[in-house]
Amino acid sequence: MRRKQAKIATDPVAFEAFYRRHVDAVTRFLARRVDDPHTVADLVAEVFMAVLDSAHTYRAELGPEIAWLYGVARKTISAERRRAYKQLQLTDRVGGRRPLATDDVTRLEERIDAERHARKLLEAMTELPEGERAVLELVVIDQLTVTEAALALGIRQSAAKVRLHRARQTLRNVPFAMSGASG
Amino acid sequence: MNFEEQLLMELKNEIAHRADRRRRLTRRLSIGGAAALVAASAAVAVPLLTGTESPAYAVTKKADGTVRVQINEFENADRLERDLAAAGVRADITYLRAGQECKPGRGKTSGRTAMGPGSDAAARIVKGGLDIDPRKIGPNQTLVMEFAGNKDGSRLSETGKASWVLTATMITGKVSPCVVAR
Repeated sequence: MRRKQAKIATDPVAFEAFYRRHVDAVTRFLARRVDDPHTVADLVAEVFMAVLDSAHTYRAELGPEIAWLYGVARKTISAERRRAYKQLQLTDRVGGRRPLATDDVTRLEERIDAERHARKLLEAMTELPEGERAVLELVVIDQLTVTEAALALGIRQSAAKVRLHRARQTLRNVPFAMSGASG
Repeated sequence: MNFEEQLLMELKNEIAHRADRRRRLTRRLSIGGAAALVAASAAVAVPLLTGTESPAYAVTKKADGTVRVQINEFENADRLERDLAAAGVRADITYLRAGQECKPGRGKTSGRTAMGPGSDAAARIVKGGLDIDPRKIGPNQTLVMEFAGNKDGSRLSETGKASWVLTATMITGKVSPCVVAR
């Protein structure tokens, strides 16, 4: 039956603290991958809704909240991409968007602009196999350690190391691929 | 208020709403004169007649605009979904074996009450079947229903009635497929 609800999903005070700790990081994570302010805002909302649904999957002993949260954000983005593809024709997508004030749009555009370098790097990785790219992304672009990237992806640390190594082999002529934490 | 603060407010409302929904659905319900067991936080068990010659299910449109669903056997969920769609009900049906459940988080839950005894619920259990009001399912929303029970019709009680357990949620946007927990 239903597992015990995690505190951040049931306690508004605990949730607010969690949200304030991470909302900026999540917004930047999304701005590195999506270049439309409205979509970024919608995705921030969806990531935190997903947090309420899957808070019970977080295990503090395995690593920091942010690694788990990036894992949630990755799943949200890939769900969004599948949906965007499917519902290209449906106009009600636009109607379902979060209302944004002009200030919000400006701030989000600045965020997106600040992350343009990261988006370029991500483009350079598109040729890599999905599993390898995922690890390289989290380590080089999102600055997680290999251990944290493994947690975000729900894979073993050894598997993450192998994938990272392979990805770097493939991209050995691209300078950025060698940066990022190695631990 | 910037959008981050607005969103935080909405999320806190959602937390309060979910807590409230858990409380309401955990209450014992009495359906059709039979005492029903509440098996999970959002699940209600009701008697199901088995061993008859009746079709797997029946969908009937009623004069008051609601749609009556009577499920006799756990067969052909896809066809039931299509028949419900034809009657104006956007539903996602999953049949599970006894004791199984789908992993939670199949989509963005909405503020609407999916199932319950109240008149605000989209689906109400009446006399061993479901009365669904299509007007309570918003545009872009899907009534997600997961039925768990014993497909082989093994009898659970001396009255010869098997039972199913229904977990219902209203999901906005995409509904991801059921991944059976455990």
